[in-house]
Amino acid sequence: MLKPLAFALAVLAGAASAQDRPVVATVNYPLAWMAERLGGDAIEVLFPVPEGRDPSFWRPGLSDIAAIQQADLIALNGAGFAAWTTRASLPRSRLIDTSSDLSGAFIATQSVTHSHGEDGEHSHTGTASYTWLDFELAAGQAQALAAAMQRRMPDLSDQVAETLPALLADLDALDSHAREALAALQGTTIIATHPRYQYFARAYGLDIAALEWEAGAMPGEAQWQDLQNMVTDTGAALLIWEAEPPREARDRAAEMGLASVIFAPLASRPASGDFVSVMRAQVTDLAGRP
Amino acid sequence: MNALFLAFAHLRWTWARSLLLVVVGALILSVPLVTQVLLRGSEEALTRRAEVTPLVLGARGSQLDLVMGAVYFSQDRAQPVTRAAEDAVWDSGLALPIPLHTAFQTNGARIVGTSLDYFDFRGLQIAEGRQMALLGEAVLGAQVADRLGLGPGDTVVSAPENLFDLDGVYPLELQITGVLAATGTPDDEAVFTDVKTTWIIAGIGHGHDDVVTPDAAGNVTANAAITQFQRITPENIDSFHFHGASGDYPLSAVLVAPYDTRSGTILRGRYLDPENPLQMTVPAEVVAGLVDRIFRIAALLDAVTLVIGIAALGAIGLSLFLAWSLRAPEIETARRLGAGRFMILRLAFAEIALLLILSAGIAAGLVTLVTMNGDSLVAWILAL
Repeated sequence: MLKPLAFALAVLAGAASAQDRPVVATVNYPLAWMAERLGGDAIEVLFPVPEGRDPSFWRPGLSDIAAIQQADLIALNGAGFAAWTTRASLPRSRLIDTSSDLSGAFIATQSVTHSHGEDGEHSHTGTASYTWLDFELAAGQAQALAAAMQRRMPDLSDQVAETLPALLADLDALDSHAREALAALQGTTIIATHPRYQYFARAYGLDIAALEWEAGAMPGEAQWQDLQNMVTDTGAALLIWEAEPPREARDRAAEMGLASVIFAPLASRPASGDFVSVMRAQVTDLAGRP
Repeated sequence: MNALFLAFAHLRWTWARSLLLVVVGALILSVPLVTQVLLRGSEEALTRRAEVTPLVLGARGSQLDLVMGAVYFSQDRAQPVTRAAEDAVWDSGLALPIPLHTAFQTNGARIVGTSLDYFDFRGLQIAEGRQMALLGEAVLGAQVADRLGLGPGDTVVSAPENLFDLDGVYPLELQITGVLAATGTPDDEAVFTDVKTTWIIAGIGHGHDDVVTPDAAGNVTANAAITQFQRITPENIDSFHFHGASGDYPLSAVLVAPYDTRSGTILRGRYLDPENPLQMTVPAEVVAGLVDRIFRIAALLDAVTLVIGIAALGAIGLSLFLAWSLRAPEIETARRLGAGRFMILRLAFAEIALLLILSAGIAAGLVTLVTMNGDSLVAWILAL
C-alpha cells in the first residue's frame, strides 16, 4: 500500500520539484488575472494565447499543448469555452473546470438539429461561455480556482487563503458598481456586434440583442442591413463593439442613430490596466451613454 | 578418447535417431525448468503490478475478469461502466480516478484509452517521439513498436471490437507520436491513446462534413450523405464532437489511486452494497487468490511432468537397449578384433554421455532464452 500512497503524494505534489515556481495554465485572461492575484510572484501564470487571437477559438500548437500538459494546474473556464480542450489530451489530476459548480447558471444557446442515418435527430446544445461577465459568477470561478490551487500547491495554501478575500471583495465591488450604474439602462434594448454578453445582460437586467460581426472588421452591406432591421425592430440607440471598430463603421452606426460603445469582454489581456479597472471603466462608460 | 571418438562417429552415422533422442532429452530436462521460470515470473509480475494498483472500480461481477482486464489488459473483460462512475470518485475528493477503455485492438495489440495520469501512475516514460497531445494520437508500448516495426510518424488502424462487429464501429487511423520505454509489463504490449479517442472509435464522437448547407436564398438543406472522417487531421479535428451526456460514455474500468489509506477505506465502503451495480476491488487480494490457485495447479503439473519424464526416460532407455541389441553383430566383431567387455561398456557410456551433454546443452540454452526474455514472455502470456 506504500507505493500507491507515494504515487498519490506525487500526484498532489505534481512536477513542482522540477521547476522553480509552480505553473498555472489558463485559457482566458480573467482566469490568468485571478491566478496572478491569488498566487502573486510565487507562481508562473501561463496564458499562451497570442496577442490579437480570440481565446475562444484559438487552437494551440503541439508545443503549446506540451507546455500546458506540464503545468501544475490547468484552469479551464468551462461552459464550452476554448473547445480545443475537448480535443486535447490533458491530465485530469491537474485540471480544474472553474465553472463546473456553476453549471446551474449556464445560459443555453441555439443549436442546429440534424441526424445521421438511423441515429435519429439530435442537436449540439450550445452554452454561452463568457461566464465571467456576470461578476458574481466570476467570484465563484475565483473560489474554485483558489481551492484547486490550494489542493495542488499545498505550499501556497496560506498565501491563497490570504489573497482570496481581497480578490472576492474586488469582484463584489465591481458587481455592485455594475448593478447601480447600469440600472438606468434597464428596459432599453442594446445591440451588440457579437453574442458575448449573455451573462452580463442577465446579471444586470439588460436587454442585449446580438449580431454576428467579426471584431474590428468593417461590416458588409448585408450586415448593415441586418443592423438596420434590428434597430427598426427594437428601437435601440446603443451599439456595443467588442473591439475598436474602423472609423467608417463607427460613423455609419452614428448615421443610423446608434451611439457606439466599446466594451471588451476581456477574454484577452488588455493593453493596460487589469480586469477590475478596465471592466469598471467600461461599465461606467456604458452607463454614461444616453 | 577413442571411445568418445567411436561413440560420436556412431551417433553421426545414426543421426536421425541421435537427433530424436537429443531433442526428447532436451525437452524432458527443460520443460519443468521453463515451466518454473514462467510460473515464478508470472507470479512476480502479477503480484508486483497488482500491488502497485491500489483499487479498481468496475461493474459488479467477476472480480478476476475485472482485474485481469484493467490491470493486465487481458482478453477477459468485465461489463463496461459509465464515466459517471469515474466522476463520482473524482467528486468524492478521496482519490484520483484513471479511466480505462480497453475494448478495441490494433494489429493484435490492445488499444488502451486512458488519461495522461496513467503515465504518471505507472511511471511510464517516452523513449522516442513525444507524448500524445490531440485526438487520434497514440503512443506504443515498447514490445508492440518492436514487433510491428513502427515508430513516431507511422499509423495504426483500430480493429472492430469482435469479428462479428462488422458495422458496429468505424476503423480509425491512429497517428503514432511516441514509443514508451520498455518496462517488462503489459504496458509494453499496449497501444495507448486518449480515452476520448476510444470513444470516437466506439462511434460516440465523430467528425464529418457540414451537415447543413445554406443555398443562395438562405434555405438550409440537410445533406443526404455525410462523409464521416476515419482519420483525424489538423484540417478536420475541429469537426470532431461527441453526442449524449458525458456521464453516459462507457469505460472498461477505472483505476483508483486514493490520496491516503483512510480515503481508500472510505471509498471501498461505498461500494460494498451488493445492490450497487459497481464494485471496488483490491487487485492484490484478487491476484493473491489467483496465484494461490495457479500454484496448486502447478504442483499437479509438476507431478504430471515427473511421471511423463520417467516414462520418457524409460522409453529412451528402451530405445538405447534395442539399439544395442540390434548392434549385437557389430559388438561381436569388435570383440573378435580384441575389444574387451570394459571397452564395450566404455563405448556405451560414451554414447549416453554425449547424448546427455547435447540434451543438457540445448535444455540450458532454452532455459536461458526463456529466462532472458521472461518479462516479455510473461507480459505476452498475461495479455492473452
